[in-house]
Amino acid sequence: MGRLRGTLGSIAVLTYLSLVMAPVALALHRIISVTGFTPREWIQSLSENYISAGVLEFTIVQAACSTILTSMVALPVAWVLGRYRWPFEPWIRAVLTLPFVIPSIIAAMGVLTLVGVHGANIRANEATWWWTLIASHAWFNMALYIRFCEPLLSTMDPRLEEQLRLLPNGRSRLSRIRNLWAPLLMPSIAAAACMTFVFSFTSFALVRWITIRDDTLESMMAEVSSSAGISGYMETSSQIVMGASMIQFTILLVCLWLTSAIQRNRQARLRLSSPRRLDSPSWPAWLVLVPAMVFAISPLASVVVGSFRIRDPTIGNSAFRWGLDGWEAAIHGSFSFPPMSNAISNSLGYALVALLVALPLGYLLAATIHRLERTRPLLSRALDISTMLPFALSAAMVGLGVLIGVIRLNPQSLYQFWPLPSLAHVMLTTPFVVRIILPALRSYEKRYEENAMVLGMGAYARFLKIKLPLMRGPLVVSSVFVIAMSLGEFGASFIIARNSDWVTMPLLIDAWRAKPMKDPLSAPASNSIATVLMLITMGLFLLAERFRSDRQGGMF
Amino acid sequence: MATRNKHKTLTKPNLILIATLLVTAPLSGCVMLDEASSEDPMDGELVIVTYDVLALSEDMISGFEESSGLNVTMLKLDDAGSILDYLIQNRGNTNVDLAIGLDNTYLQTAIEFDLLEELDLDKSGMSAPGSFPGRSSMDPLEPYDGPLAVPYDMGYICLNYDTEAVDGENLSVPTSLEDLTEPEWRGKVALPSPVSSSPGRGFMLASLDYFDWQSDEGLQFSNWWSDMVANDVVITSGWTEAYETHYTGGYGEWTEGYIGDAHITVSYCHSPGVESYYNGNWTKSATLDIPKTSLFQVEYASAVSGGNALYAKKFIEYLISPEVNSMMPYENLMYSVLDGLDLPEEDGYRSNSQIPAAPASIPMEDIDDHMEAWLDQWNSAVTSGG
Repeated sequence: MGRLRGTLGSIAVLTYLSLVMAPVALALHRIISVTGFTPREWIQSLSENYISAGVLEFTIVQAACSTILTSMVALPVAWVLGRYRWPFEPWIRAVLTLPFVIPSIIAAMGVLTLVGVHGANIRANEATWWWTLIASHAWFNMALYIRFCEPLLSTMDPRLEEQLRLLPNGRSRLSRIRNLWAPLLMPSIAAAACMTFVFSFTSFALVRWITIRDDTLESMMAEVSSSAGISGYMETSSQIVMGASMIQFTILLVCLWLTSAIQRNRQARLRLSSPRRLDSPSWPAWLVLVPAMVFAISPLASVVVGSFRIRDPTIGNSAFRWGLDGWEAAIHGSFSFPPMSNAISNSLGYALVALLVALPLGYLLAATIHRLERTRPLLSRALDISTMLPFALSAAMVGLGVLIGVIRLNPQSLYQFWPLPSLAHVMLTTPFVVRIILPALRSYEKRYEENAMVLGMGAYARFLKIKLPLMRGPLVVSSVFVIAMSLGEFGASFIIARNSDWVTMPLLIDAWRAKPMKDPLSAPASNSIATVLMLITMGLFLLAERFRSDRQGGMF
Repeated sequence: MATRNKHKTLTKPNLILIATLLVTAPLSGCVMLDEASSEDPMDGELVIVTYDVLALSEDMISGFEESSGLNVTMLKLDDAGSILDYLIQNRGNTNVDLAIGLDNTYLQTAIEFDLLEELDLDKSGMSAPGSFPGRSSMDPLEPYDGPLAVPYDMGYICLNYDTEAVDGENLSVPTSLEDLTEPEWRGKVALPSPVSSSPGRGFMLASLDYFDWQSDEGLQFSNWWSDMVANDVVITSGWTEAYETHYTGGYGEWTEGYIGDAHITVSYCHSPGVESYYNGNWTKSATLDIPKTSLFQVEYASAVSGGNALYAKKFIEYLISPEVNSMMPYENLMYSVLDGLDLPEEDGYRSNSQIPAAPASIPMEDIDDHMEAWLDQWNSAVTSGG
């Protein structure tokens, strides 16, 4: 059994290296063969090209502003959620954390419907679209603060604060914040802020649809991807991609390292107890929670409503009627777009392939890391770090890895290979599977297996009858995570699949909305596909919530 | 994004034809290209790479499938630049048979990269400039008359302006490109980027000719673009964004995301005619006919190297047939390339479409030799401006 474990572990590591790391390495090799190894020129090219000039500054500033606004919006929400006993609390928490699991392309469609020319009509103004983007990032990342801070707030013993009130340093509200809450909450806030910065920094769908003329490094890389990695043709594209990738990788790596260090520090400090909350919410708490619920639901509701709202040019350009025309157009397709069923079957197919590869691969990697922790700690640590490295790769970088590193090896054959987009999804999801499974393996009680061994159970029987049922929760959460992430994946698919017939639901949503000319069905059709994707994602999310151990300050 | 549309309406295989081919092909050694132009239906799949060319409508493709017996699959990309990118990336492969949408600013690069296949097609119906007064200066074979590409539509790329905003009182009608660098035009001009847009590329080429690039190695050209950036010109990634999002004179005000901050943009000299045709003989958009600021654009259909040239040829013959090509003004909002055909007169289509008096002229060879350097020069100018 030990030898079999070793063999499986070796196979998993080799598969991981060839499926997840090799495409990126091959892409780097190809681009460097075009540009030469000139890191300084790569970085310089960003400011020297019209396409990329100012992009880095915009990316950093919008990510910083998004982080600040998200903190301002989400902290009060996390506070009231953690400090009071709410009616229908699981549902409230589900609604407030829903935006984070909804694919960003759906968020983009929802926000666009709210602020576009046929909604509040504030998108066209440069001053308002900037804040629309920042508010959208706050909407998307609000759940991070809730996930990171709320468990701490809800498990804090209220007597601590009561005792502090009696002391000179705790008499005023400000002094209690300074001396109790700030030191306790700061690590959680910092960790949530780091992750918010990362997600805003790599934002693609929201930037593509909400801003006008501005790009993040991520969206800019996606735009120039089709001409990158080709010798003798538009070589500046390759330089830009290398410069942007280097900067993005470094910044993401630093942020993720910071998050990890802060979380370790936070976990060392915390002593969680069973929830002890104030009994019922005060009216200011309602004033925080109700607008937050409306904020969380509005873009999603607008997607559904927008799918039935048809502009009627025969009456007037601002006249609308209600109907199913958008749904019909999306379901039947048109000459320019395939029917929705094509996109759904492709998306489900890719999600299934991603699941079949990422789940066993992630499990075996986690098991190998766990096994080596006892026997070869250094090797275990190295493998652990290597499985975390892809976190510093954005979706666009993964997409470029597959396009330039894999597809260009043999476009003719590989463009015919239907499951290929799943490779990007495997690259993006496997590290998450490892992160979900590894803590579960670490907390797995060996005693059960030892008892079973004493009772004469074989290795396979122990695995099937004891380990697998005990690991059911993390396995279901991982599976749901892989499927949901694959279904909603947009950045990498945009790069890999937009020049092919591998249409997925997010790509079809984007394509309908991007249709030029004044087709009154383009917005409702894109909204109807977004509605279907949203319902599937919500179903998966609710399923995962049933199996997620409560009070985990995780990312999902 | 690209989508493939598979037309499943295959005509039933003609067994007699197949049997005949099976018997005669070995005897003749091979089926020559010329023989394929016969009226007999074929059986197979034609893969077309294109952008969202309006002319390639469902009816048009169905008509071809019915008459040829071929099954058409279309790979739709973003624009002409994406077609070139795709062909370069897939060099030597046989996935695609036909490319539709490369224009005379991209064609030479495709030829240089050896991406296209020679075809022997009769283009005599296109080569009579001056066959009627309206398009006396438009010869679709003038930019390129070789065997690697066949014109299917054409038009002049030029500046358009909003006559309501540029009314001579609040804003005066510019008479030179230099006027656009004046303070009154600050932030009021939207131009598509030549890096990613073919109308943008066409206008950049026109501006090179306007500033006589050969006399001063493009110094005035660079200075003008820098001055435009300093004057807050809106540079967009594509024509759609410039025309729909920023231009106040067109239909963009009815589309989502409309900003309406620019009264001048780059489009076609006949775009005001199109606006008028679709608005019941009314438009507020007009052609800004400044000498050497417009460029003649021809769009081409080409067989792709490694693809099935026989099928490609069959489709191109259909595309340039009088019954299909005469519909270009309606279906593709461009001029037909056939002799004796002009824009329709109804609803002000023709009367609002102007032929520029003195268009710019840049030979294809120069485009091929200098395009990369010009794009670099443009890039330097716009990144140093402002």
